[in-house]
Amino acid sequence: MAQPKGSAPSGRQIVSSFPNNPPWSTRALVWLCVLTTSFGLPAHLAAVTLTDLLEQPRLTAKKFASYFADFAYELNGPIQPADVFLSREKGDCDDYAVLADFVLRKHNLATRLIHIRLTGRVAHAVCYVTDNKAYLDYNNRAVFFTLTRCGPEIRDIAAKVADSLQSTWTTASEFSYSYETRRKLMIATISQTGEPVGNPSPGRPSPFNVD
Amino acid sequence: MSTEPTTPSPAVAGDPTLRRVLAFFALILAVLVVVVVVSLVNLNRSVAASEWVNHTHALITELDALQPTLEAAEGELSRYLLTAELRDHGAYKDKFAELGEHVDVANALIGGSAAEKELFQPIAALLAKRAEVATRVMQLRKAGDAVALEQFLKEDAGTTDHGELARLIEKFRATQTDLLTARDRALFLQAQTTRWTVLTGLVLDFLLLCGAAWLIRDDLAARRLANRVLQESNAALEEKVRQRTAELSDANGRLLAQSLEDRWSKQAMEHQSRYNQLIIDSISDTVFVVTKLMNVSRLNPAAVHLTGFEPAEVIDKPLGRLLSVNGTTDPAKPTFDPLARALAEGRDLRDKGAYVVTKSGQSLPVRLNIYPLRDRDKVVGGVVILQPANPVST
Repeated sequence: MAQPKGSAPSGRQIVSSFPNNPPWSTRALVWLCVLTTSFGLPAHLAAVTLTDLLEQPRLTAKKFASYFADFAYELNGPIQPADVFLSREKGDCDDYAVLADFVLRKHNLATRLIHIRLTGRVAHAVCYVTDNKAYLDYNNRAVFFTLTRCGPEIRDIAAKVADSLQSTWTTASEFSYSYETRRKLMIATISQTGEPVGNPSPGRPSPFNVD
Repeated sequence: MSTEPTTPSPAVAGDPTLRRVLAFFALILAVLVVVVVVSLVNLNRSVAASEWVNHTHALITELDALQPTLEAAEGELSRYLLTAELRDHGAYKDKFAELGEHVDVANALIGGSAAEKELFQPIAALLAKRAEVATRVMQLRKAGDAVALEQFLKEDAGTTDHGELARLIEKFRATQTDLLTARDRALFLQAQTTRWTVLTGLVLDFLLLCGAAWLIRDDLAARRLANRVLQESNAALEEKVRQRTAELSDANGRLLAQSLEDRWSKQAMEHQSRYNQLIIDSISDTVFVVTKLMNVSRLNPAAVHLTGFEPAEVIDKPLGRLLSVNGTTDPAKPTFDPLARALAEGRDLRDKGAYVVTKSGQSLPVRLNIYPLRDRDKVVGGVVILQPANPVST
């Protein structure tokens, strides 16, 4: 598979460009750069495209998040198409979570979209990656820990997200989204004051899907 | 694991004030623990009550959003029917989807509350009915049956669904508003309880601290007083000891002087006794000094020489064992004793014939003189002097 556009040279290439027996401090610096490049920083500097993300080999949730460190926040009404979001490098939590769900599913990672309604503020959406037992949050795109670990229950996720925003949540829903139909489909909704049961089973088809 | 009973240290066990102060501090600690526990419980209740207030607010918000969203969705549908624009097609679908989300959220918020379910069910049913109406309209439009569509819309315009929906929502909203008021009051009361708990605990702790401080102050004053009394008592005791020491010192001086005088007297008496003994010893005749009861108290070397008895064998023994005036030396044999009679009568007895029984059992004839010893006209003993003589018949 082709190397993504603008990707950094590998660690072996960097090391081989130094003269023989460099001082230990230089070696340590080189290996630090290699490790940082491999695990932390995005592998390219140009705007990433949907194709890049889909064709990236062995794309992990953390690697996915690393592409969005420099993205700006912009609250939008409807969810932006993936290409628009990536090219503008601006968007909100819905854009990020839906794109993560779409891309990581293509890479055979089990994901879930969770929508959390908070008291007195705009609702928030995250993408829970079941394999990592953690969720991707647009608010954490520029920090070291881009994945936040928590339990798989909707209640656990909602509580963790509300804590991170220093707020309280009232209801949370698991939903799915299709870029083709541009439709959100609510799978299940729970309230904070309800019984602490596991994830509710998906409801029946909604009569409000008028077509 | 060993469970040996812990005994209080002697300092704690023996000091009632310390015990009381420790009891005060234990009480303060207990009050603090109670305040913390009650405050935490109240805090948890307040958080729960706050969550319920937020819950009720969220439900009211969802209820408030239902009718405007339905009207917006139906408006967008009408617009699409008029314009047939793709943009308007998406808009009414979005609005109906939004309406469905509001219903889902309201249902989730209602949860297991039967009373709220009973109130919300007709609302949800009415909204679902309006969604079905929209679906039917779109089906008729897609079928191209303009007449049927027009007829359906005319019939629908005559329904009172919106009025009924507004009435039902208002009714449900009123119950939620009452609930909100009750929950808000409960929240306020919990906050007040927490406030009073903390204040009461603070006042109690302050009072207990004051009590402990008073106790310590009282104890310190008592200790100072006791110390002063002890110092005064010590001073008085030292004065008494000084006086007693002086008295003892005087008595000791007197005793020393007395002892010295006694020693001197004793030495004088010993000297006198020795002198008397020398006098007796210097006499060449045999001399016995006897008591009033005729027991030997002294004898001179001539007596030892004559009888063969050592002084220790004769002293305090009856003279009758050595000397026979009546011709017998058996003291058990009752005889008339002219020596005892002479002593009893306080007269001398001179040149009386007698026999001396020596240690070897030999009887030697002697001439006997006895002189009573007087002390202030009272006979206290006598001096017996023996001189050798030929045997005489008695």
